[in-house]
Amino acid sequence: MSVAWTSKLALAASLALLPVTSWAQSVNISYLTHWSPETVALLEAAAKDYAKTNPDVSVTVRAVPFGDLLTTLRSQGGGSDGPTIGGIYDLWLPELARDKLVAPAPDAVAGEVKDAWPAGVVSAASVGGKLYGIPNEIDVYALNYNKALFKQAGITAAPKTWDEFKDAAKKLTNKDAGQQGFGMINSWAAGVVHPFASLLVSNGGDLVKDGKPVLDSSQATEAFQLYEDLIKSGASVPAMATADANTTGPFLDNFVSGKTGMIIMANWWESALKSGMGDKFADIATAPIPVGPSGDKPHSISYSWMTVVNANAGAAEQKAAWDFLAWLNNPKSGKNGASAMSDILMSMGILPSRLSDIEAHKDKLGSEFLSGYVSVLADAKPFPVVPGGQEFSESLQQTLEALQYGQVSAKDAQATAQADATSILERAAK
Amino acid sequence: MINRYRASAGIMLAPAVTLIGVFVLLPMLLTVWLSVQDWSTQTPFSSASFIGLDNFREIFGPTSVGRDFKGALANTAIYTALSVILILPLSVVFGLMVYQRDVAGGTALRTVLFATYMVPMIAVALVWSKLYSPSEGPLNQMLGLIGIGPQPWLSSPRSALLSIVFLNVWQQVGYFTVLAIAGLTQIPGSLYEAAKLDGANRREQFRFITLPLLRRTLLFSAVIAIINAVQVFEPVALITQGGPVGSTNVLTYHIRRVGIERAQGGLGSAMAVMLMLSLIVVVCALFALVNRKDDE
Repeated sequence: MSVAWTSKLALAASLALLPVTSWAQSVNISYLTHWSPETVALLEAAAKDYAKTNPDVSVTVRAVPFGDLLTTLRSQGGGSDGPTIGGIYDLWLPELARDKLVAPAPDAVAGEVKDAWPAGVVSAASVGGKLYGIPNEIDVYALNYNKALFKQAGITAAPKTWDEFKDAAKKLTNKDAGQQGFGMINSWAAGVVHPFASLLVSNGGDLVKDGKPVLDSSQATEAFQLYEDLIKSGASVPAMATADANTTGPFLDNFVSGKTGMIIMANWWESALKSGMGDKFADIATAPIPVGPSGDKPHSISYSWMTVVNANAGAAEQKAAWDFLAWLNNPKSGKNGASAMSDILMSMGILPSRLSDIEAHKDKLGSEFLSGYVSVLADAKPFPVVPGGQEFSESLQQTLEALQYGQVSAKDAQATAQADATSILERAAK
Repeated sequence: MINRYRASAGIMLAPAVTLIGVFVLLPMLLTVWLSVQDWSTQTPFSSASFIGLDNFREIFGPTSVGRDFKGALANTAIYTALSVILILPLSVVFGLMVYQRDVAGGTALRTVLFATYMVPMIAVALVWSKLYSPSEGPLNQMLGLIGIGPQPWLSSPRSALLSIVFLNVWQQVGYFTVLAIAGLTQIPGSLYEAAKLDGANRREQFRFITLPLLRRTLLFSAVIAIINAVQVFEPVALITQGGPVGSTNVLTYHIRRVGIERAQGGLGSAMAVMLMLSLIVVVCALFALVNRKDDE
């Protein structure tokens, strides 16, 4: 037999021995997130579990820093080769849907989400009545304080009103020890705006009402004044509260090292605090946002995250992506009746938003740190999701930072914030 | 004969001219065209609608769009000016130290200087953000040893931009030192020998021989340093995100935020056109200044 015939026979035999499954059409989908490497590993493990029953679908996970997430979605989501699935912040949805970067959910997925999630969360994942994403996490703001520093300063309980809050911030301030009473974050839009907005709603105010900014209200006047008072009294030191692209930096460093008495932060920081503080994490407690002079009871700001599918991906990729997401968020994919997604979220201290997940994680959600967040959820107001919301948020960030660094007075900051917000939201609504 | 010469010259130039036209001139013209359109970056060019100079009015107007753009333009100008002012003299000083073979440690200095240029910016940004840390940063710890209190570095709008400039100077100075050394090697040794015979000391030799004959090299270095500085992006994106209070919000970072993150392609293009015009004006002014000196 000639060498050529031998080669042909060998090739034919090899092909005949290949598993039948390798002939099936395989689909590759990618998942873009801003999660840390540890959390990405959990998502990759879930994708491997999914592959056991769906060997024709391969899921790759790609992570970018939070600061680059929207840019990556916008610059790569316009093509079929961009990420198939993206985790997004609800504020970004109206514009991503307007620009047709995200696909509406299939009817089956939309039906299940409407039945299994709270109505407010479903509404944040919808535009014009159409559902665009599967909600997964909900974040809410509360007061975090260091019990050890409170004890040293002779403070027996968490402040309930703004007067008590200012008093506690003053007592916790020790310039000689490089210690500030209240950490007022800067250099990160959501990190700056959400705590301010939480204090504002706890004073009976709002950022936006019926699509129009209402930063010219008397409640907002009091909120801007509170910030100015805290800065002028030295209880908040802006230089101790800078954040970097990964939302860490001096703000986090100073709180975990006991140089900051109180901060207003969301529940998802639990994992960052635990890894930064070790055993000293037990010193951290959670309390509702102090109530302002015009407020009735504690309120705070909440926002949600969801997973969306690239509208420009191929039909097979889109179908595979929705199937994977439906599985990931299904109560059968995780442990003890929880979804695999909620298990991943709870590893970071993030509250899942699916009703069955909240029930399944009832024990962990009752921990000293997280129960403080769960308790304020019912009275939390969703951060306004409007076209131009991201630009509005960044503009308010600049104004609040100028106030923090003493470049403008509270009165001027309020006037600037209202004028900028009006112009931005009007332009975006056109 | 002349026609044949012209035809062959045209054929030989065509590939380069075509490539430049497609990859350089066309994007530039497209940016200029988009700067007078209302256009979302996520939509096709066909959806753009002509709005005249509205985008330019907006970026120079009193609203937050105008304030942020003018702030970013000023930050870029300050960053560029400080970078060039620091880099050029340092590169000459280091160049002289390395070039003078009788200075001890010249080779080691040359290696160290050029090594910084080879380090990727991501690594530089990570290391410097920790060096600048207000609480545990080595820089503040060293200052503490000589009785100087902790500095806010990246955490204050007064010092954040300057801190990014220092980082840039540290990384770039090695490259410009190499350029300075190249310029120094072009100066004939006989000039120094003649000057020595005439009784000129080292300072006079530097002032009347080295500096005038380095002028062309320094012009080239200045142009490259300006272009590099205007394009600063990574340290801002990686460390400060333009803050605090927009003090490090430079134009490239701001254009990315407006044009890509907010998808306001028309506004972003108008900003890019202004950046391009500013760069052209500055570089032309620099050439004019040096040419005038040459004529004198």
